[in-house]
Amino acid sequence: MSRTHITCTVNGDPVDFLASDGTSLLDALRDELGLTGAKEGCGTGDCGACSVLIDGRLNCSCLVFAPEAEGTEIVTVEGIADDDRLHPLQQTFLEGAALQCGICTPGVLIAAKALLDANPDPTETEIRYALAGNLCRCTGYDKIVRSVQEAAVQLKGAAR
Amino acid sequence: MPRVHLMSDHRRFTGGEAVVEAGGATVGAVIAELEQRFPGLGDALTHGASAGVNGEIHSEPQYLEVDPDTDIYFVAPLTGG
Amino acid sequence: MTVTDDRPTYKWVGTRPIRHDGYEKVTGKARFAADLDLPGQLHAAYLRSPHGHARILSIDTAAAAGMPGVKAVVTGADFPDLDPTDPNFDVSVNVMARGTVLYNGHALAAVAASTRAEAAAAVAAIQVEYELLPVILTLEESMADGAPLVNEHNITKFVESDGPSNLATSNVVERGDVEAAFAAADLVVEREFDTAYVHQGYIEPHACVVDVGPNGKADIWASSQGHFMVRALTASVLGWETSRIKVTPAEIGGGFGGKTTIYLEPVAARLSEKSGRPVKLVLTREEVLRATGPAPASKSRIKIAASNDGELTAIDCWFGYVVGCTNDFAGLVGAMSVASYKFPNLKLEAIGALTNTPKSAAYRAPSAPQAAFAIESVIDEIAQTLDMDPIDIRLRNAVVEGDPTAMGMPHPRIGFVECLEALRDSDHYRSPVPDGAARGIGAGFWFNIGEQSSATVNLNEDGTATVITGSPDIGGSRASMALMAAEELGIDVYSITPVVADTESVGFTDVTEGSRATFSTGMAVVNACRDLIEELRARAATILGVDLDAVTWVDGTAVTDGKDPLPLSAITAKAKSTGGPLTVTASLNAGGAGPSFAVHCCDLTVDEETGQVTILRYTAVQDAGTAIHPSYVEGQLQGGTVQGIGWALNEEYIFDDAGSMENASFLDYRIPVASDLPMIDTIVVEVPNPAHPYGVRGVGETGIVPPMATVANAITRATSIRMTSLPMSPPKILAALDTD
Repeated sequence: MSRTHITCTVNGDPVDFLASDGTSLLDALRDELGLTGAKEGCGTGDCGACSVLIDGRLNCSCLVFAPEAEGTEIVTVEGIADDDRLHPLQQTFLEGAALQCGICTPGVLIAAKALLDANPDPTETEIRYALAGNLCRCTGYDKIVRSVQEAAVQLKGAAR
Repeated sequence: MPRVHLMSDHRRFTGGEAVVEAGGATVGAVIAELEQRFPGLGDALTHGASAGVNGEIHSEPQYLEVDPDTDIYFVAPLTGG
Repeated sequence: MTVTDDRPTYKWVGTRPIRHDGYEKVTGKARFAADLDLPGQLHAAYLRSPHGHARILSIDTAAAAGMPGVKAVVTGADFPDLDPTDPNFDVSVNVMARGTVLYNGHALAAVAASTRAEAAAAVAAIQVEYELLPVILTLEESMADGAPLVNEHNITKFVESDGPSNLATSNVVERGDVEAAFAAADLVVEREFDTAYVHQGYIEPHACVVDVGPNGKADIWASSQGHFMVRALTASVLGWETSRIKVTPAEIGGGFGGKTTIYLEPVAARLSEKSGRPVKLVLTREEVLRATGPAPASKSRIKIAASNDGELTAIDCWFGYVVGCTNDFAGLVGAMSVASYKFPNLKLEAIGALTNTPKSAAYRAPSAPQAAFAIESVIDEIAQTLDMDPIDIRLRNAVVEGDPTAMGMPHPRIGFVECLEALRDSDHYRSPVPDGAARGIGAGFWFNIGEQSSATVNLNEDGTATVITGSPDIGGSRASMALMAAEELGIDVYSITPVVADTESVGFTDVTEGSRATFSTGMAVVNACRDLIEELRARAATILGVDLDAVTWVDGTAVTDGKDPLPLSAITAKAKSTGGPLTVTASLNAGGAGPSFAVHCCDLTVDEETGQVTILRYTAVQDAGTAIHPSYVEGQLQGGTVQGIGWALNEEYIFDDAGSMENASFLDYRIPVASDLPMIDTIVVEVPNPAHPYGVRGVGETGIVPPMATVANAITRATSIRMTSLPMSPPKILAALDTD
């Protein structure tokens, strides 16, 4: 089977890898690059556990073919902390107990980051709709939504 | 003697009696005496029930000690999710 | 909000530290089962039955075995046949079909190959000849006279049996004189209900990696609710000695009861044994829905008698649980669990019926939600008929300490009344119902269980502690263990490292189920710490040159008259010179789990054009005994509630006539998403469980019991229609509105 050589940026680092045409970006991240933060909960774009940012846009990486990543900038959950300092979303999720089992957390964090990058002052309803593609079976979403609200407050304070 | 409270399903062995008395210093000994008097009941209690003794439920109660005034409640095996 | 019986003041218990495993889980470092890869590892895939019920006439794997990359193929012939009376027979048959496939999706062969694509291609090349057998899908078909057998090996439990049957279990519980009470009653309400199959819906599909070495020993990495359970069941299905297997627990991405059994590990083990290579086996979401879980569908008939002043005088109920293709389900327990009221006269009958559908599995408070939906709906109807407040009627009849459970055993100290009062006095209940909306109430409880746990506590040279248990951490239990150890030892909670160890590094521990981890495993941790404190006192006496009796342990220090207190770190620093390492192991088989009661309240609107239900406000009140880490207690209440809302409004298995699941994806099996919901307010009531050193009851199960009736009762008050069938999806609500 022929494999394509793909060059892109992942979490700020230039990377290259080989992938066959049918390989998903999720599988390439996990199997070729060893980045197992993005999870496969369904493989059909329904659960959001594999969420990543591609050129700043939120995507289910299970629905993206690896060759489509050529030349793009990808951000996964492994890349949202700033060196040793957690992203405010990561910190508020910890303080707000916004995770139980933690399998959906990487995808939820990426989706929440995509929201706050585009809309620093979302309403509760906007947060709920922005996260509607990320299934969580443990929390009932309450503490997730509150932690995103708290992170938004902190990010606004830091920007001021 | 300890009083043994039976599930409805086990009363077929006792002619419908819901509560029977049986001697013994442990739940296992009580079950053994019941088996003598009501053949089949001992096996049903050993394999198809948990025992509630002094407010605690045990799935393997054989060696639990009981006093003459203890109530033993046999209940369906508990499970969880 | 708390209700306490002279509760002591704690330094750590009841605080909200960041969980110890949190950093890994927000940075993507936490390793779930599918995140592990071993050098030389193969990938496995299943062949699953396309038929709902069929005899396997032949399986030809020759072509598949010769395909590129294929290293091993297994079928039912590669596994020993357990005796049908073996307690693990049903698990064994479900892991790999022998002779007969019992449901659409039943595994009957598996292939290990160098890549997933090669494994999948080889699976497609396996040739199977089937002889189709009758497919039984419903309770009525299963229980009909002369019905074909679903599973020729099924023998009914709990009753005398004259051979194989479609009846899985049958139980009856009775007290008082039900008929006389109905004859004398002022009011009798009788209703029939039904509920659909629902899935636990954990986001992590089942996964494992198994490496069987040349010495015949198997290393298993898997996510589960109990790795000792994985070890025992895998050994049983393979016909191996338990000691041949070591199971290392991966982080678990949700279980809710669905991971209290096994599906994959014996298959991966046999493939690894045959190929001599590590084998990774990961289910797809479609496989998870078609071949794991679900919780039973049900039908029920409830008849309750009441006096005009709201005393509930008798209940006569029948529950039929549709349990799938095998029989290891105890339906009565859940049905019993709804006896939250005094009912002087009671008759309760529960059966389980087999169908050619996936083997059902535990799901949070197994079988109680179906029963509570029915009973709490009828009680609501009685309250409406008598024009009584729905909390008042429950307060009037609620069980308290000493009242009999359905089985007759008296309830221990419980907090049902306290929960009802907490809701009655809450801001939510005291607020007017919003215009256009309606409000519903529902209640429920779960017994909770104890069982076996072990814990080892090691004190390190620097005065920190490692707390090692065998209970997988599904929702923050590491933090709870650390909090209890911090409270006992008197050191900072972050000086404690809680570890979930493999089956060869900690004592036997039963499955994390029945809300038992914080209760039982927590008690083992407390016992180990208390033994350790005795040892610390002895070491301190040696260091200080005083008698043991002169040393007391106060807030992390050894205290004796006339000398400076000796902190724990000063004692651990001298461990070698005072007798060696400071380590203690404790184990127990805990009785005394405390029932946890809950009362829920919901405001909602019903769109009579579309049938859409919108939940505006929701409050869950539950007795935790003592909340060790309140944030994670609240999280259990909120998570259980939202699973219950999904069960109430959307979730259901849809089968075609041949037993093929038609909605085996998260697109079509729709669990609640963030935009479906409001915040879930919680009120944690604390009526301590006298059987636990900190009063813990266990909170994981009960939250899913009240929501279905809570939502249904609100819909009734919004529309004047009593919904008796779950899910209460828009088409069903529209149909009911049309009929009305």
